[in-house]
Amino acid sequence: MVKFTADELRRIMDYKHNIRNMSVIAHVDHGKSTLTDSLVAAAGIIAQEVAGDVRMTDTRADEAERGITIKSTGISLYYEMTDEALKSYTGERKGNEYLINLIDSPGHVDFSSEVTAALRITDGALVVVDCVEGVCVQTETVLRQALGERIRPVLTVNKMDRCFLELQVDGEEAYQTFQRVIENANVIMATYEDPLLGDVQVYPEKGTVAFSAGLHGWAFTLTNFAKMYASKFGVDEAKMMERLWGENFFDPATRKWTSKNTGSPTCKRGFVQFCYEPIKQIINICMNDQKDKLWPMLQKLGVTMKSEEKDLMGKALMKRVMQTWLPASSALLEMMIFHLPSPGTAQKYRVENLYEGPLDDIYANAIRNCDPEGPLMLYVSKMIPASDKGRFFAFGRVFAGKVSTGLKVRIMGPNYVPGEKKDLYVKSVQRTVIWMGKKQETVEDVPCGNTVALVGLDQYITKNATLTNEKEVDAHPIRAMKFSVSPVVRVAVQCKVASDLPKLVEGLKRLAKSDPMVVCSIEESGEHIIAGAGELHLEICLKDLQDDFMGGAEIIKSDPVVSFRETVLEKSSRTVMSKSPNKHNRLYMEARPLEEGLAEAIDDGRIGPRDDPKVRSKILSEEFGWDKDLAKKIWCFGPETTGPNMVVDMCKGVQYLNEIKDSVVAGFQWASKEGALAEENMRGICFEVCDVVLHSDAIHRGGGQVIPTARRVIYASQLTAKPRLLEPVYLVEIQAPEQALGGIYSVLNQKRGHVFEEIQRPGTPLYNIKAYLPVVESFGFSSTLRAATSGQAFPQCVFDHWDMMSSDPLESGSQAAVLVTDIRKRKGLKEQMTPLSEFEDKL
Amino acid sequence: MDFESDYEIARTAEFLLSRNFTRVALQFPDELLKDSTRVVRALRDQLRSLRKCGAEQNGGNKDVRLFVMADTTYGSCCVDEVGALHVNAECVVHYGHTCLSPTTTLPAFFVIGKAPVSIPNCIESLSSYALTNDKRILVLYGLEYAYSIKHIREALVEASKLSESKSKLEVCFADVSCSVMNSSDDHRSSTGLVEPAGVCTDDNTYGMAPDNRYKIGGLIWTLPEGHKMEDYLLFWIGSDNPEFAIVVLTFNCCDIVRYNPKENRLVTDVSQQKRILKRRYYLVEKAKDANIVGILVGTLGVAGYLHMIHQMKDLITGAGKKVYTLVVGRPNPAKLANFPECDVFIYVSCAQTALLDSKEYLAPVITPFEAMLAFNRGSQWTGAYVMEFRDLINSSLVEVKESEEARFSFLSGGYVEDVDLQGKEIDKEDKGTLALANAMEKVLQLRDNPNSLKKSRARSGPEYFAARSYQGLDMHYDNSLPEPYLVGRSGRASGYEDEKK
Repeated sequence: MVKFTADELRRIMDYKHNIRNMSVIAHVDHGKSTLTDSLVAAAGIIAQEVAGDVRMTDTRADEAERGITIKSTGISLYYEMTDEALKSYTGERKGNEYLINLIDSPGHVDFSSEVTAALRITDGALVVVDCVEGVCVQTETVLRQALGERIRPVLTVNKMDRCFLELQVDGEEAYQTFQRVIENANVIMATYEDPLLGDVQVYPEKGTVAFSAGLHGWAFTLTNFAKMYASKFGVDEAKMMERLWGENFFDPATRKWTSKNTGSPTCKRGFVQFCYEPIKQIINICMNDQKDKLWPMLQKLGVTMKSEEKDLMGKALMKRVMQTWLPASSALLEMMIFHLPSPGTAQKYRVENLYEGPLDDIYANAIRNCDPEGPLMLYVSKMIPASDKGRFFAFGRVFAGKVSTGLKVRIMGPNYVPGEKKDLYVKSVQRTVIWMGKKQETVEDVPCGNTVALVGLDQYITKNATLTNEKEVDAHPIRAMKFSVSPVVRVAVQCKVASDLPKLVEGLKRLAKSDPMVVCSIEESGEHIIAGAGELHLEICLKDLQDDFMGGAEIIKSDPVVSFRETVLEKSSRTVMSKSPNKHNRLYMEARPLEEGLAEAIDDGRIGPRDDPKVRSKILSEEFGWDKDLAKKIWCFGPETTGPNMVVDMCKGVQYLNEIKDSVVAGFQWASKEGALAEENMRGICFEVCDVVLHSDAIHRGGGQVIPTARRVIYASQLTAKPRLLEPVYLVEIQAPEQALGGIYSVLNQKRGHVFEEIQRPGTPLYNIKAYLPVVESFGFSSTLRAATSGQAFPQCVFDHWDMMSSDPLESGSQAAVLVTDIRKRKGLKEQMTPLSEFEDKL
Repeated sequence: MDFESDYEIARTAEFLLSRNFTRVALQFPDELLKDSTRVVRALRDQLRSLRKCGAEQNGGNKDVRLFVMADTTYGSCCVDEVGALHVNAECVVHYGHTCLSPTTTLPAFFVIGKAPVSIPNCIESLSSYALTNDKRILVLYGLEYAYSIKHIREALVEASKLSESKSKLEVCFADVSCSVMNSSDDHRSSTGLVEPAGVCTDDNTYGMAPDNRYKIGGLIWTLPEGHKMEDYLLFWIGSDNPEFAIVVLTFNCCDIVRYNPKENRLVTDVSQQKRILKRRYYLVEKAKDANIVGILVGTLGVAGYLHMIHQMKDLITGAGKKVYTLVVGRPNPAKLANFPECDVFIYVSCAQTALLDSKEYLAPVITPFEAMLAFNRGSQWTGAYVMEFRDLINSSLVEVKESEEARFSFLSGGYVEDVDLQGKEIDKEDKGTLALANAMEKVLQLRDNPNSLKKSRARSGPEYFAARSYQGLDMHYDNSLPEPYLVGRSGRASGYEDEKK
């Protein structure tokens, strides 16, 4: 069975050049898990016969049931390569043994966060693309993320079997399709190119593209065929590889290579002639059970079958023959070992992306050199539920040093600030564990460059953390992961029986841990909220919560709730004024919308409270046309001191102004969190303090007088500046055949969506449609769409932007006003908005 | 209604004479202040006439001096003992709505007043509601309706006799505990008002006594053996006031309907009140994240308030947070906003004023019970709710096993550091010889960019002030020349003279 032991695995862990950490990424349903199976099978963890069917890495019942991957799953595999296979490998290595730490990731957008978590701890990515469907939206998203993390990609064109069995396309057509797929992928990679990572595009002739059929367990790279033909033609392998791709044609009649199709009927492209056709032939022979023809051919190819396998028929025979002839594992492994970086290589250029601190301190150097003797730097990227109910493994990657059982580690959480005690714990590791197939093995220690699971730290880590040695107080944490999706869909949960509340609280805590993206919070109204990336994500979370984390205690969930934002359309119609409770102080303010793109820049952290004011004012004046001096007068951002709203001081020569600044800021933080319309967060509003009249005695202009007044005047200025609601909008990508387009359009229209791109995928009958769809309307969208297109269209929704609702919420009866009333009702507020007169005072 | 009976002049006079009080404070809430002179006059006449009769019998009675008190410092439902002590009063007569919180030093006599209620209408609502449900019904009411309960009860018995409905109405009524309160200093028995069976107050019977006796506000009732509160439907007669909110919060597992006597209407939708409980739950979660806590002294009369304040202080310091005690009278948003450093306030006051909707406040205001939940590590809210802080005094801190786990905050959606646990560990290290070196290290640590607008949250008042952008006046020593003479503004702040057109 398993061809390796934990000891063997542990031994290679020290050979950092013989390790490959890689993740398998792709669009949903392009065959990642299936392909992973064949790699796992080669390591002997599952039987070769069932490879492609078991989906080894889909360990959860619901994953198997739905046929999609939900959680990313790590697996450590050990391979011994032959000398011959490694003969042309020029990189550093130690022996022929290799350790592959492989992570299979989900393809559905709702689970993108799992991909992010997987990418962080790997150095290379196997990008799987369906040869028929081509590069899809999620392929692009994950690729972009991978390159953002400086992960080197290799590509495999998967589901080759569809070409042969389903579509029956001829060689040239197939070549064109493959070529297009690769080109599309390269276009994306070129966009996100990074000088340090170098050329990341993939080329079949360089061996960085494989062609695979995950379901049948076979795959090849041009290297396989080049090796086979090189001796026959008497040219070297590299030369042969070049000939097997691109504009190289061979005419068997003349035995000549040309760079153009000569027009003669026997002249065919190298790839078609030498790769595609032979495979097609073998498959056809197998499928037609022409065994008399098959055996001599196989003999010629040097493939020997076991006698009992010779009795197989049809598809089973074909699968077996192909697996023996072109085993997926060896082609893919070779590609990974040859073309993906070892941790030692990768960390040299990844350190910049990873480490938050100065790049010349000992920690940065230890990461750069992948130094097992250096200080421990370990990043926990996700928490994996252990079989022991309620406990979690902290799963991550050792970037430097060694982590061992019993080691006391410093846990730096996501909110840790160097030099402070916040979000920092010192605890000891109970056990270090590595994953071997379905079971875990405890090992004494794990050196850098490897993935590892730690036991005993789950009570201090919510989702991710940086671990270092106890005494390394100067270490900065490793940069937090950036997710491509955001939790915009929320449901409120409560337990059926009130006394189950402690269970719910405990369950939510565990749920928050188990998923990198889900956010469990509590609303002002006291409702527990679960926020996820999409409907499916939430569904899975709720199921997990109830079944796994709450021991089956019943919960009631509300309908999905979408959070809105409040903004303004124009500058306030006039300067508004509010008086303090004692009437001795007056604040004058105006609100105006922030410049386009500024809110996003604040979201991205390009502009923020931590910036140097000089840098900030430079960006503001150059990109957003702000006055240089004004840019220096930003008092604060909000809500939560980082949000996309700000207060700017426009006063001239006002006495005591600096004295009330803190109070105004406090009032602003409060008000920007709960806007005047429906107590939703504000977004994209700039509040300008125009004038201030203050009492001359400090006691009469204290916080008690100014804070509530600042809040009121902010509300008043918001209400006079044409307040509007912002709603979240999804970018939807749908791939469907032409006959389904009508259905798609009608569903989208009905749901207030609008299509902005429709492209036919060349060479296929498929159309790619991109549309914007309000998140509010997205509930039940996929099922409606499936019904309207008889199951041919499958949407992928990602949060894209905030869209302003055009109707005026202050005008009763308008769409926005109805929405505001609904939100207020849900929150238990007075249904009527507080009128402007409550906030604004007259002189 | 007739004035004399409304203010129970005769009964009051009798009471005062029977106890031989000579200095008596009459406490009026704002809305009844207009009647105060009439009450005093009537009472004085009554006392005189009574004393005349009394003097004939045993003679030697001194004149009773009456003082009117208004504008109480805290809620007008509590007896203002401090105010009464200013005039050396021996007893307080409290008029109007009351919470019947026990007093510390002075005996008190309560005149609750009577609000009109249409008895037939009320009976009808009650019986029709009872018919639609098969649970037993418990009738609770605002104290101002207490006088009519006897009639309602009688009328109900008659009505059920007449109608001979198949299902027997099972209706229990709560009783009013007493209208006379002795200070907790002297444990003398007091007399009941409506029902002689309404047992006298005893400091330990508040809340849920073990033998199915319940007491809330001024109401008291006993359930038959083997019955639980969950088996009952609550029928509340009265307006939607704090009293009712407390009932809803305390018995949040029971179905509650409200009969509104003003509009003669049955209100079955009390979801708004139910929301309060959730809202309180949120406040507890928010309080858990607090670093600086302010204790608001909301009473100087309710028995045991000092004990409670001390208990709260211990609790908060034990949780590793900073605590400040504030006396601001009746809190309002402007007053509390003067303490922006406080992340949460605990309001120690009588039950009926304790629930402040903190929507308007910068920081939430919670009750001592909620504080116990929030700051007692590991305590969990199972839905039970205790309003009166006297019930908390006895309930010693539940010893929860120190769980190792860091605290999970639902506001930030992740683990948050626990200042105390972390702090203790590090402090221990500091005790050693390296203390000085460590202290130096902290001083010399690289601070965040001082220009940044982002600040981390303070742990104590001084820390908060240190982080403020305004640090007080700058002393410019280099510029020693006196500033030129300037003419200031004149007029009032609501509009200075130079602003008037």
